[in-house]
Amino acid sequence: MSKGVHRFAVLVACATFFLIIAGANVTSHDAGLATSDWPLSNGQFFPRMVGNLFWEHGHRLVATGVGMLTIALAICLQVSERRTWVKRLGWLALLGVIAQGLLGGLTVKMNLPLAVSAAHATLAQLFFLTTVSLAVFTSRNWTIAETTVSEDGEGVSIRALCVVALTVILGQLVLGATLRHSATWDQELPTGLLLAHIGGALIVTLVVGVTVLTVLMRHRGEKYLGRPALFAVALLIGQLLLGLAAYITRATSPEDPQPLNPMISVTVAHVAGGALVFATMIILTLRVFRVLRLDRREYVLAPA
Amino acid sequence: MLSKRARLWLGLLVTVALLSIASSCSKTETPDGDKDGGKDAGKAYTSKGDEGTVTGKVSYTGTPPEAKKIDTSADAACTSKSPNLTTEEWAVKDGKVANTFVYIKEGTLTDGSKIGDWTFETPKTAATLDQNGCHYKPHVLGVVAKQDITITNSDPTTHNIHFTPKNNPDWNQSQANGAGPLTHKLNTAEVLVPVKCNQHPWMKAYVGVLRHPLFAVSAEDGSFTIKGVPPGKYTVVAWHEGGANGTEKTTEVTVPAKGAATADFTFGSTAELRGRPSSMPVVSAIEVPMMVKH
Repeated sequence: MSKGVHRFAVLVACATFFLIIAGANVTSHDAGLATSDWPLSNGQFFPRMVGNLFWEHGHRLVATGVGMLTIALAICLQVSERRTWVKRLGWLALLGVIAQGLLGGLTVKMNLPLAVSAAHATLAQLFFLTTVSLAVFTSRNWTIAETTVSEDGEGVSIRALCVVALTVILGQLVLGATLRHSATWDQELPTGLLLAHIGGALIVTLVVGVTVLTVLMRHRGEKYLGRPALFAVALLIGQLLLGLAAYITRATSPEDPQPLNPMISVTVAHVAGGALVFATMIILTLRVFRVLRLDRREYVLAPA
Repeated sequence: MLSKRARLWLGLLVTVALLSIASSCSKTETPDGDKDGGKDAGKAYTSKGDEGTVTGKVSYTGTPPEAKKIDTSADAACTSKSPNLTTEEWAVKDGKVANTFVYIKEGTLTDGSKIGDWTFETPKTAATLDQNGCHYKPHVLGVVAKQDITITNSDPTTHNIHFTPKNNPDWNQSQANGAGPLTHKLNTAEVLVPVKCNQHPWMKAYVGVLRHPLFAVSAEDGSFTIKGVPPGKYTVVAWHEGGANGTEKTTEVTVPAKGAATADFTFGSTAELRGRPSSMPVVSAIEVPMMVKH
C-alpha cells in the first residue's frame, strides 16, 4: 500500500472539509444567489470578489479545486490500488462530486428551492464521508489490521449500534440542512423544523452515547476502536454546545441590519462540527467492521 | 444490562425526542393573495369625473427604533458612495413616518358595486426602482399588476436584484455597473413583495402590487394622497415594514363625489387607530352614512 496515495486521500478529505466550511459560509452570509448565473459568475471565471460574491464564487473555486483533486485521486487509485472495490469507490467519489456540482448549479438556476438546497447540503456530507472512507481504506492500519477483537455475541451488536448511529446522524444532518435553508438570516426559523432538529439531537446523543459506551466497556484496551469512540463523544459534546450557541445567535439575527458575527461564525462552526461527528463515526464504524470477530459458542447437548 | 431506573430514563428521553419530531408535522399557512390569480375580472372602470381623494398623515407615537449602522466594508464602492449608511426600517422625522404603503383594500361604490368588480387600466409609464448608494430608491414602491418596473443601477458596482414574492414567481438578476436597465412585471396582486440584493444583504425594498391604482406611499412629512377614488365607502389600510409580514393599520372612510376623505394612521408603542370621515364634501347632494372607528 502506497503511503503517498494514503496521504493524498487524506488531503482530499481535508480539502472537502474546507469546502463544507466554504459552503456553510455561503448560506450564513445569504450569498447563495449573489450571482444569478452558473457555472460562471456574472459571466466571468474570475469576477471582482466583492460583497457576497466573495463567498459564493469563492465557494465555487474551492469546489473546482476539490473536483480536480478527486479526479486525480480516482486516477491514482485506478493505477496503484490492487483492491477493485477501492478503485470503484474512487470513481464513485468522482461521480458524487460531479453530482454535487450539478446540484449546486441547479439550486442557483432555480433560485434556491428548499428541496434542492437541502439535497446539495446533504450530498456534501455524504461526499465528505466517502473521502474520509477512502482515507481509511488506504491507511496502513486498515491494510494490516486483522479480525483480532472478539465479541462473544451477547448483548447488543456493536456493528448494529454503529450503523444505527450513522443513520441517525445522517437523519439529523438532513433535518439541519432543511432547517438552515428554510429561512434566510432575516427570517425566523420555522418552529416545527427547529423542534424536530432539537429532537434529533437528543436521539443522536442517545444513540452515539450508547454506542461509544458499549465500545469502551467491552473493548477498553483496544485503541484502534477506543480512540475514534472518544473523539466521537468529545466532538458530539462540542456540537451540542455549538447547536445551542447557533440557536441563540440565530434567534436574534432578524433584528440585525445584515448577517453579522457571531451568528455567521457559530452557524458555520455548527455545520462543520456535524461533518466531523459524521466523519468520526464512519471511521469507528469501518474499524469495527474490520476488526471485530464474532466468537460463536457451540452448545453440546449432554448425553441423556 | 440496564437497571430498571436507567430503562425508565431512557424511555423518557426517547419519548421527549419523538414528541419534538412529531411536532414538526404542522400545516403551512398559505399566504393571503389575489385568489383569482390576478386574472382580469369585471368591467373596465372609466372615469366619470366625480372621483375624489383620500389624504392623511402617518405618525409615530413614542420613541421610534434607532436606525442601525450598516457595515459596507465588504464592497469599497458602497463605502465610498455611502460611508454612513443606516437602516431605513423606521424613517421618522418630527413624529411623522415616511415609507408607509397606504391603499384601498376593499369597498363599495355609491352605485352599489364593489371596487373588486372593476378592472383598471395598467399604467403605460413604468415605475422605477434605482440602486443608488447601495440602497434602493425608493424604499417602498407601489405598482398596478402587470405594470412595468424599470430597475437601474447607478452604482459603480454590480448589484443583484431579487424579488421574493409569495403570489408571484421568484425573480433574480445580476446587474453590472453601467449595464442597461432591467424590466420586470408582477402580475398578481400582493402586499408587499420584499426585494433584496444578494450581493449586498442589507439592501431592502418593498413593492406593493394592486389591481387598481388607488394607493400612495407616505412622504418624509408623513403625508399621502390617493387620487382618482370613485365616490363610495372604503377600507383603507396603511402597511409598514417590520416583523415577519409588516404591520397594518386599518380605517374606514367615505369619499364623496369630487370630495376628499381623511385617514390618519398612527404607529408606535402607544398607537391608537384614528380614522376620520370625509370633512370636505364638495358636492353634498348624496348623503353617505358616516362610519367612524375609534
